[in-house]
Amino acid sequence: MGKLRIGHFVEAGLWLALAAILYIYSFEFEQSIEIYKYGATAWPRTIILLIVIAAVGQLLYHWERGDEATSGTIGAATDDGSHNAAIESGHSSFRWYLSTFTLLIIPFAYMRLPEWAMQAFGFDEGGLPTAKLICAVVLIVLYIFMTRRNHVGGMLALPVFFAALLEDMGFYATAPFFVIGVMLLMGERRPQWMILIGALIMGIMLFLFVSLLYVGLPTGNIHPFYDFGNWVVKLLQ
Amino acid sequence: MNYKEYLMPVATMVVAMVVSANVAIAACATDGLPDSMEKPSGFPERALTMIVPYGPAGGSGQVAQAMAQAVTDLTGVAINRDHKPGGSGTVGMTAFMATPTDGYTVLEHIDDASSAHALDSGRPNPAEGLIPLVVSQITFSQIYIRENEDRFTDWNSFVEWVKAQDGKATIANVSKEGSMERVTMKFITDATGMKMQQISFDKGAPRYGALAGGQVDALFEQPGDVRKFLDAGKFKPILTVLKEAPAAFADVPSLKEAGLDFEPLFRFRGFYTHVGVPEDRVKWLQWAFQKAFCQKSYQDFNESKYMNLIESFRDTEGAKELITSTIKQYRDVYKEMGLEVK
Amino acid sequence: MQSFSNFLDGTIALFSDPLGILIFLGGVIGGMLFGAIPGVSMLTLAAILLPFTAHLSAEHGIMLFSVIYCTGVYGGAITAILFNIPGAPENAPTAFDGYPMTQKGLAGKAVGAAVMCSALGGTISAVIMMAATAPIADWAISAFGPPEIFALVFFGLTVAASVGAKTLWKGWLSILAGLMIAVVGLDPVGGIERYDFNMPYLLAGIHFIPTILGFFAVSEIFVQAEKKVTGVYKAPKLSVDFPSLAELIAHKFAVIRSIVIGFFCGILPGIGATLAAFMGYNEAVRWSKQRDEFGKGKLEGVISSETANNAATGAAMIPLLALGLPGGALTAMMVGVFQMHDMEPGPLVFLNSPELVWVVFAAMFFANLSILLIGFLETKTIINLLRIPFQFLAPLILLLATVGAYAVRGLVIDVVVMFVAGVVGFFLRRSGYSVAGIVLGLILGKIGEQTFAQAMQMLHFEWSGFIGRPIALSLLIAGILTILGSIYGAFFKRSHTEMPEHQG
Repeated sequence: MGKLRIGHFVEAGLWLALAAILYIYSFEFEQSIEIYKYGATAWPRTIILLIVIAAVGQLLYHWERGDEATSGTIGAATDDGSHNAAIESGHSSFRWYLSTFTLLIIPFAYMRLPEWAMQAFGFDEGGLPTAKLICAVVLIVLYIFMTRRNHVGGMLALPVFFAALLEDMGFYATAPFFVIGVMLLMGERRPQWMILIGALIMGIMLFLFVSLLYVGLPTGNIHPFYDFGNWVVKLLQ
Repeated sequence: MNYKEYLMPVATMVVAMVVSANVAIAACATDGLPDSMEKPSGFPERALTMIVPYGPAGGSGQVAQAMAQAVTDLTGVAINRDHKPGGSGTVGMTAFMATPTDGYTVLEHIDDASSAHALDSGRPNPAEGLIPLVVSQITFSQIYIRENEDRFTDWNSFVEWVKAQDGKATIANVSKEGSMERVTMKFITDATGMKMQQISFDKGAPRYGALAGGQVDALFEQPGDVRKFLDAGKFKPILTVLKEAPAAFADVPSLKEAGLDFEPLFRFRGFYTHVGVPEDRVKWLQWAFQKAFCQKSYQDFNESKYMNLIESFRDTEGAKELITSTIKQYRDVYKEMGLEVK
Repeated sequence: MQSFSNFLDGTIALFSDPLGILIFLGGVIGGMLFGAIPGVSMLTLAAILLPFTAHLSAEHGIMLFSVIYCTGVYGGAITAILFNIPGAPENAPTAFDGYPMTQKGLAGKAVGAAVMCSALGGTISAVIMMAATAPIADWAISAFGPPEIFALVFFGLTVAASVGAKTLWKGWLSILAGLMIAVVGLDPVGGIERYDFNMPYLLAGIHFIPTILGFFAVSEIFVQAEKKVTGVYKAPKLSVDFPSLAELIAHKFAVIRSIVIGFFCGILPGIGATLAAFMGYNEAVRWSKQRDEFGKGKLEGVISSETANNAATGAAMIPLLALGLPGGALTAMMVGVFQMHDMEPGPLVFLNSPELVWVVFAAMFFANLSILLIGFLETKTIINLLRIPFQFLAPLILLLATVGAYAVRGLVIDVVVMFVAGVVGFFLRRSGYSVAGIVLGLILGKIGEQTFAQAMQMLHFEWSGFIGRPIALSLLIAGILTILGSIYGAFFKRSHTEMPEHQG
């Protein structure tokens, strides 16, 4: 078996699985284009083929050389110590990965769940904001519960969650909580500092981008977040 | 007020002089609307947001800027433009449909919204799913060649030359299947029996550069977008995709003169609000946007974009008619082309 | 000298107009500041300012953007060095050695070298630009069509595959992943919707700016957060110990080499400055006797990459002004500024408004000089950012990045993409893949597919058509030789021996 480890098979397997999923999905858009005989699929499918070749090539390489670096490559990304940090902190166990990926699913659940719930219970269009609010509350509770045991996983999921809520709840209402959340996850526990620095950060952001440069940050689409966002903008502009 | 008494006769005199001198200052479409309108219970009490589904530099970005300026000058209400480009206007439309229906958010969109609905009825119909406030730009397409071209000089010699190339002649066009540009090119090639290779460019500047740099033989475009090249004597039109040639291009053959028999498709840009916005607010928005069309700044802008060659104005009812007939036309064409119409 | 008197006229026009001076200074300081604040970049500033240039005159608008371009490319080096967050893709190779230097407590030396090399590379490039734009424009307008640009993209990708990843295969997988991400959205020929997974916002495609912010800024914060949570975190050491003149003179060959590389890569539309920086770095390694020290904090790495990317700024203006072809994201926005003033960049600009061109040239020249003056002052302030405790700096950077990602297109999906890229980058960095390779694949993938389709349409789907286009053909052959050379190196040579030969 040369110098292969189980991890090398997992890595190659992930690439091949990704290639397979992308290839199957490419039939969704297999349409001919009148003025281009290669159509919309030739380019992505060529890349998929190359991914398969490179994944197999990498497996063969690992078989021969194990984890050795190739000559002629420069500035490998592992040099910055992130690899060592992961090993030292014990964040490479299966349980940690499972808990982290569950946390990461939460934001995507928010993007899909409300509409599924609507369809399942047969609500009309007007109920969507309510469904979204209920989903948001449930998922936030779930997030807090899970983060208590996995701070790094929580740190990874928090910004994605923030981004997922951004369109509906708006920047102005969610950002302060996001700032406090990041500080908490990074180990800050002094409330007066969190409030002071949080207010300072929000002040800088609002002054620079809203008052000075008139960037239209998302105000949110759901009441009362929408009204709050517009109130802030009106106040500052 | 004294100055009004003084102004009126002067204004009458000026109008009389202009009319008698027969200078072409035509009466504008919405001169009949009142000069001001009371805000319905305070609306709008803050700035409006205009979602533009294209970047700030393109045709839509420019018309949005000009219209927003004209509305602000007229009413004093600020308008924040929010550019959300991508997906041929789909993304901006999706974002607009998700905003609350309180009248504070308006949408700029072009005929792509109509053709998108014709292809997939899951996409909003701009005449029914939205309320058109005004259509403020309507224009037609032309085929351009380089001014210094010597292999052909006009439409007839061009058609002859293309046929002699056996499908190897090239023309630069847009990169969206089923768009106004590509459908019209199909009409033209079918009607003349030409076979030519279209080269797809998703952005304007490289498309024009390809003709200027000799990478392609011809270009399909609207006159306002290539006006600089026309004025600089770099490009010249050889066909106008209209039944009758407009005065500004009297010497360029129209469809009728070229012997091509099909209904021309138009590029139009307009402004919309949500269905479900309170009626008095819709009325105010209609007044503001339609009246702004006749602001001098907006009229000057339209003129600079060749948007005065055919009537560019449609009010809400006119816009609905235009959109509905456009959708029907596209749907027929798509079925004929064998595209899957959902 | 016609050029020199034009330059004088441009200088006088620039500095005789108070508003012009104000905009010039604003651009210099704004570009440096936004380039140097981690999480936002000169692209953020440019995207925010783009709609406002409509209120400026065309000259002022273009001048502002060219000044931001020069100083922003330099500013991006500061965050690359201090935080491992390149402000733009062209600063990515700067981080390879710059960040290890910060970890060793040599931040001042690295930043100082970046200041001097940026100024030097940029100024010389501006001078060549003034002399060469018109003749090069004449040549390129007919010589570079879609087949040539496609061949160039292909060559660029083969070079990039050997940079930043642990093995050649990982380098290629990174680039292929980037190319695949570029497929999401509408296809460039028929507008057909690909890989949207029923999310309409994905039809806009995945933009490279949020991806860069995610891979570099956000994932770095995640790595630091993990260290912090687990108690491994060490605050970076500070120093304001600038390099001596002698140290720089010792690297004179690296500087000259990088200027040449930077200038010639910079001319190439679409990938100019990024390719310049990678090539400049790559060649520095190839020519060096101490190859193993690169990537571990070698001053020469910073010097080569920073000189090359600033040397590319002047060169990138050539295809922009002469052909209307942008060399990267910022020059693409400049096209927008031109169009907002009813102008199309291209040969017409030279004919119709030569004074504008020369004001821009003069502004770029002085912007590069002012990097030297203001750069040192600013650096001493910026470097103090490192004194802020990380738990306070992190939320600020994340919020700035949020605005930065959102302001480009006004789409919330871009913020989601950025943070997802941050998570992906966090895991990829543990495993030896190259996030810079993914970004390069993403940027070049869009141009590559579009120009490939155009080339095929123009050549009537006959591959033999490339033979009739010598420039395209030689670029394709150079790319293939690069691939063969690196495969040979990967399979038949042991590590730490000769570098594989490839055609430059």
